[in-house]
Order: sequence, then structure tokens, then C-alpha cells
Amino acid sequence: MADEGGIYKRMATYDKRWVYVALFIVVLGPLINPIGMPIGISAQTRHYKAELDTLQEGDIVFSTWNMEFSGYMELKPGVLATHKMFIEKGVKLCIAFGHFEGVALPPEIFKQLKKWTDDYDYTEGEDYIIIGYVFPNEAAVAALAGDFHANVRVDWRGESIEGTFLDEIQNGGDFAMISDYTTGLATTNIIRHIVLEYDTPMVVNSIGVSVPGHLANLDAGLITALLASTRGGAELEFLIGSPGPGLKSMDAFTFGHYSLIIFIIIGNIGHYGWTRRSGARDRTGIR
Amino acid sequence: MSSFFKSRSAQITVLIVSFLLVFIPYFIPWGPLDWLSGKLMTIAAVTNAFTIVIAVYSQFRRSGRFINERRKGWVYHIYLLALMAIMTLSGFIFGQHAGAYEWLLLAVVTPLSSVIYGILAFYMSSAGARAFRARSPHAALLLLAGFVVLMYQAPLTGAFFPGIEGAAVYLTDTFGMSVSRMFSISVSIGAIVLGVRMLTGKEVAFLGFGEGDE
Repeated sequence: MADEGGIYKRMATYDKRWVYVALFIVVLGPLINPIGMPIGISAQTRHYKAELDTLQEGDIVFSTWNMEFSGYMELKPGVLATHKMFIEKGVKLCIAFGHFEGVALPPEIFKQLKKWTDDYDYTEGEDYIIIGYVFPNEAAVAALAGDFHANVRVDWRGESIEGTFLDEIQNGGDFAMISDYTTGLATTNIIRHIVLEYDTPMVVNSIGVSVPGHLANLDAGLITALLASTRGGAELEFLIGSPGPGLKSMDAFTFGHYSLIIFIIIGNIGHYGWTRRSGARDRTGIR
Repeated sequence: MSSFFKSRSAQITVLIVSFLLVFIPYFIPWGPLDWLSGKLMTIAAVTNAFTIVIAVYSQFRRSGRFINERRKGWVYHIYLLALMAIMTLSGFIFGQHAGAYEWLLLAVVTPLSSVIYGILAFYMSSAGARAFRARSPHAALLLLAGFVVLMYQAPLTGAFFPGIEGAAVYLTDTFGMSVSRMFSISVSIGAIVLGVRMLTGKEVAFLGFGEGDE
């Protein structure tokens, strides 16, 4: 029996496994052997860097790691590039987690930043303090925002934070900036209880799917700058002249997007040809 | 006495007092009220943290039922309980900075978590590729907008066609943002309505009461 739809039907109803295989190949290839294709730098990332450039030596920044380890994989370039800037500027960091997996992040992140911490003699306890998983829910964020020391007395290792630079922090308004890395955990709560209450500037490095939501926050002035996903991190790496995992992954990013576009085009050509030929637009099956 | 605390009206009274203690200081900044509100939030945060114990207990009970009755997938429940016990005990006995707990976290939990996240990219690409079909003029417009934004998101495009940023940013800053705002506003209004219903005693399921219970 002849194939009714022919080539068009095959194009319109291709097996999804072809997408998986193609994506796997076009992503894996450039990751193993990066080509180093040029990238465009967005105005959004330039603005993010300009916001960080306003920080002065000794300013205390609240670095809120609202990400699981999986989300960190997407945000890694932005996390590393931003913290390199903090270290170079001599900014003091108070680091908090919004997920229990956060305890796995400091060893991994500070291992990547070792060259910078060594070069600038940036040490735990003196220049940065990790207060640990302190944001299990909104009530915790609200409580910490109102009275920092009533809620945080020790760092993540159980050492007292008394006598450290955190003595200067009484509430959320005493931070020079909040630098948030988010997969969507406590970020909204931080905006509600610190930014809106104390007018503390906040910059956000967000995963791709949350970017549209944060664009509305940016437009409303709730956050001052936004770094979008791995791509934003790669652009920041380029702007600060420190290539890292973001720029390395941009070839794969480009090919991944283009392959998706090609599949969309193939599907639409097939859909148009098949339904035009058969006159059965309603019966178009997506399998 | 205990029946009084279990009554619907007593629990709603506690809810209203707690709500007012946190709500009023936003509009009337007065020292003692601020202090009381702060203390209440700290108590809530600490109490909330302890609810994990109830979660663990509930999971053990639920999995226990699956295992006892040999329901479908009961073996996975043994696996789940074993892992929960190992993680909990290693954390309590050795501490979160000890080798055993860190190893479990770095060698087991985090790679699995990353794999699940990575797999999503394949599903999303496949779904996107097959869903974007110009079946009608509306769908064609959506497809066109998606095409521009996707092209812009590919880092190489911006290097050769800088003009695409303007088009993509226009689409996200107008259509995308308006939808995002509509979503946020809807959620917020829904939350306010739910809050009012809870405070007025019209929504009591969260207190464990059914329709008509006192």
C-alpha cells in the first residue's frame, strides 16, 4: 500500500528520538572540542556589570544561593564571574542558601575560585562568611530581614559570627546589595521582605525559564539588574576578561538552538505539504 | 480545655491575631509591635523547620503501608526508606561537614539531581520542536515570535545580526512581560482572596476541618 503522506508526512511526524539524538550530538561535539565562535553581548548583561561596578571595597553583599546543585550547573558561569568581581573589588560576602543541597556548593565554587582567593588573600571568616541554609521558608526570610542576629548566631560550621564584619548587619537594609542566584526558591520572599522593606538593591542571576518573570521585576524596579542563565554568565565572563565554563559552552548553546530551529522548520514544511496535499489539516498527528 | 483548642473558632482566632500582628506593623511602625511581630516570625520560622520531622514520619508511615501490603512499586519504597535513613543518620552522627555525608551528597544526590535537570532539555526541545506548528494565523504569529526569540538566544546570531536584539527584546519586553505580569497579578489576587477566605472561616481545610465541622 502506498504511503499517503509521503515525504511531507514523515517530516511532519518525525520521531521525537531524532530530536534527542541530534541534540545530543550537536551539544556534545562542541563541548568536547570547543570551536570558539563569536557571541553577541546583550545590553542586559552590560547593565548587570555596571551595577556590580558601583560596589566599593568593604561593602557587605548578601550573596543568596537560591539554587539546587542541578540549577547551579546552569548558573555556574554567572556565579563564578560575579564572585570573581566581588573578590577583585574586596567586597565582603555573607553567603546564604535557599536549598538544603546548598551545603554541597561552597567546596565546589571556592575550588573554582581558588586562584582569585589566593591572589587576593580572600579568606573565610574575614572576607566572606557562609551562614548556611537559613531560608527554608518565607517566615525565615522575613524574620532574618527584620533582625539578622536574632536568627543567625553561627556560620555553617557552627562558629560564632560575633566579632566579624557581620556585626555591622542589623537588618536587611544594612547590606549594600543582594546578589541572588536563583532557580526560584526564596527569591520572591527576599524581594518582599528585604527589597520592598529596606530598599536594598538586588541583582539576580536566574535560570532561563524564570527570566520572563524576573524581567517584570526588573521593569518594575524591584531588582536593579538581571543576568540571564548560562548565556548571561558567558557574556559576563567575556566582559570581565575571564573565560570560564560559560564561554566554553556557548558553541553547544548556539548549535542546540539552531538544531531546534531546524527541527521546527522541517516540521512546518512537512505539516504544510502534508495537509495541503491531503486536505486533512485537522487530522495532523504529532507523534 | 483541649477541646477548646481543637475547636474551629479558637484556631481561627489564633490565625486572625497572628495575621494582625504581622500585618499591622507594615502600616503603623511602632517599636513594641515591630518587636512582637519579629518574634512571632522567628517562632514561625523555627516551628516551620521542625515540620520536617512530621514529613519524615508521614513518609515512613506511607511507605510502610506500601511495603506491608506489597503494593505495586513496594520495592522502591524500601529503597527510599533506606536512603532516607542513611542520609539522616550520617548527617546526625557525623555532621554535615564530615566525609560520609559530603560523599553521599556530592557523589549521589548532586549528580542525580543534575541528570534529571539535564534530561529536561531533551524533553523541552522535543516538545517545542513538535508543538510549534503554523496550524492557524494565530499559531503562525506565535511561531514567528518564537523564531525571533530563539534565533536571538543562540549566542552566534547576535554577533552577526546585532539588530535581532532589538526585535527579541521588544517581543519579551512587551508581549512576554505583559503575560508574565498578568500571571503574577492573578496569583497575588488569588492569594489575597484565599487569605480573606481563611480569615473569615470560609476556607478551613488547612486546619483539618471538613465542611460543617466545628
